[in-house]
Amino acid sequence: MTTAIEAHGVAKSYGSLVAVENLTFTVEPGEVLGVLGPNGAGKTTAIRVLTTILSPTHGSFSVAGIPHTRPAAIRRAVGVLPESAGYPERQTGEEYLRFHARLFGHSRPSARSVARTLLEDVGLAERATSLIASYSRGMRQRLGIARALVNDPRVVFLDEPTLGLDPAGQRQILGNVRGIASERGAAVLLCSHLLAEVEENCSRVLILNRGHVAAAGTVAEIVRQAAAPRTARLQVAAEHMEHAVAVLTGASGVDDVHRPDGRAGWLKVVFSRAEEGDGQLNLAVRVLLDAGVELRAFELEGARLSDAFLAMTEAD
Amino acid sequence: MRLRVVLGLALVAAMLVPTATAAGVEDVSVAVAPERIATTLGGKFSFTSTISNDGATEARGLIAHLNVLSLRNGTYVDPEDWSTNRTRYLQPIAAGESTTITWRMQAVNDGDFGIYVAVLPEDGSPVPPVTGPTIHLDVAERKTLNAGGIVPLVLGIPAALGILALAVRLRRRG
Amino acid sequence: MTELVETRDRARGERSAPGWLVVLGQELRDLWLGGRGLVLSFAFSLLVGIIAYLVATNTDLNFLEQRESTSLTLQVAVAIGGMLTLLVAADAVSGERERGTLETLLLTPVSRRELATGKLLASLSLWFAAFIITVPYVWFLGNGVGIVDEALVAGLAVGTLVAVFLASLGLLVSCFAGSNRVSLSLSLFVLLALVAPTQLPAGAQQAWAGDLLLRVNPLTAGERYVSKIVVSGHDWSEDLSWLLSPVIGAVVFALAAILVGGRYIRLRGGVSG
Repeated sequence: MTTAIEAHGVAKSYGSLVAVENLTFTVEPGEVLGVLGPNGAGKTTAIRVLTTILSPTHGSFSVAGIPHTRPAAIRRAVGVLPESAGYPERQTGEEYLRFHARLFGHSRPSARSVARTLLEDVGLAERATSLIASYSRGMRQRLGIARALVNDPRVVFLDEPTLGLDPAGQRQILGNVRGIASERGAAVLLCSHLLAEVEENCSRVLILNRGHVAAAGTVAEIVRQAAAPRTARLQVAAEHMEHAVAVLTGASGVDDVHRPDGRAGWLKVVFSRAEEGDGQLNLAVRVLLDAGVELRAFELEGARLSDAFLAMTEAD
Repeated sequence: MRLRVVLGLALVAAMLVPTATAAGVEDVSVAVAPERIATTLGGKFSFTSTISNDGATEARGLIAHLNVLSLRNGTYVDPEDWSTNRTRYLQPIAAGESTTITWRMQAVNDGDFGIYVAVLPEDGSPVPPVTGPTIHLDVAERKTLNAGGIVPLVLGIPAALGILALAVRLRRRG
Repeated sequence: MTELVETRDRARGERSAPGWLVVLGQELRDLWLGGRGLVLSFAFSLLVGIIAYLVATNTDLNFLEQRESTSLTLQVAVAIGGMLTLLVAADAVSGERERGTLETLLLTPVSRRELATGKLLASLSLWFAAFIITVPYVWFLGNGVGIVDEALVAGLAVGTLVAVFLASLGLLVSCFAGSNRVSLSLSLFVLLALVAPTQLPAGAQQAWAGDLLLRVNPLTAGERYVSKIVVSGHDWSEDLSWLLSPVIGAVVFALAAILVGGRYIRLRGGVSG
């Protein structure tokens, strides 16, 4: 099976300003790759280069097996939801999709059929004949996703698809995203600054920072790579609280101990490095027991992508 | 001596024999048809003028020119408004031959008018032009515009467009 | 996938239209069903109607003045109709940029030249609508003096050439302008500059420099040609030299708008992509 996206050393500069540099990665069909990065990291530029809106300064890439030297062919094979996509207010949702379907080569009857099907898929069938001016933000995003699918693409690029949506809207959009990959077998490149969203929906992650690839891999790999600290919450008897804090503060492998707000009787312990297994938690428990502290419960929190993200992007 | 006499006689003969030059306009005559035309204001009409060379030599370098004037005092006539091609440069006319020109005009004023064609030499020599007979043109007045009739258009067209624009807007909103 | 879409459609006997035609169709729908075209046409009809009314109700109007009135009405239609076309074309690309809808258009397989072609042709619809609105007035004013046919044919020919020139100019400006406001302002400024020579005193217009200025300017040259046909009653072929700049302007600028301007339809105006 042809690799969906293959980028080798892709770079984009505007004069002396380097927007993206040495972008190298692959995406397989059916995979959802999350692209993370702070503002100005180069995420949107990267998408615009890969979708042929911008031409690369250096490097090469292929999308759906089509080399970057054939931009029109690439555009036929991809669907894109740009971050700042605007919509023609005086068109209805159905008109909008029919128009774009025809731009991708559908005949009139076929375009009509595709538009209706996609509107149903994204939950806009009842508002098909309403003007886009009357659509909410969430509806517009869904319309945008529908538009990205008019040509049944092999690769879909979604730039901040949940931006400005409430949690319910976000859930709905992310459901659509998962469906694109699983039901259509298309590769999805999902740009987002919402770490939880990427963590839950992406099989692999690419972190960009200042135009460079700061990290790439599965969530677990990236967390390990960043050596993000892990945390645990321990419930101790109230009379032992002060003693427990003192004992743990001096323990090896413990970076920080404090009482979290809103949880009386609990201590939050931050360990200094992530390791396989629960070794550090075991060590902390033994220290407490040896000190005669009554331990009532404990919770170990895995290192989060958000921790790795902050660690990698703040380090540069 | 004899040679001087011969040369002198030749010089006199040259001066006496009429030459075929632009100055031969006096041997030309002009006839027009018809000599009376009636039309209404704005009407287009035409007439012909036949220029004949009645002389013994070829007539060349002649210009035929058309003029229009009002036979009633007080009516301003600009001949350029009546015809766009009032001056015709004639081809040489052989002795005894003639050439016919058709003049097309439009009556831009109403009233009584005279039209004539004058033939004169193109070298501008001070000889009287030869003119043809005056054509009497009678142009009847005609009402060319009913001013009040424009009101339905001025009101109706914008109204129709305005209603259409409103209908389309309401339909799209619905 | 689009190849598969097209293959399937062809098997059913359905044909997909060329990109420029799809763009043209949608632009026309947006312009006329969206209401903007009708509003502009309504405003145009008011203006032409007022002018026609004022000239028609002049009771001292003689035959020649009636011809001049017919010519004036046509010239107003050409100038204002051309201006409407210019304004729509000047919004064609820079407006899409500002509304955020350009990026999705650039993400389709339709080439930028096809985008430019479709938008250029759609903007010309304003001129044709303006002409159709003007026809009854020209008929009313010119019928009594027998000049309707010549006036309408001359007006349509010259007006179309001028409209193509102005629309192409507007589209070119729109491709390069950094913002829609700049595009519209610059286009209007150019139009005013084109109209300015008509305000020269008669003597200056007849001098060689004034005459040259009027001839090289497609707008003034076209209007002069219409005047010669309608007012002076000249034949078509008598003053063809006045048609030279409208024809050249229309052809050159249309090609420039599609071939050159099309290349510069980018996300950011005037910035190399």
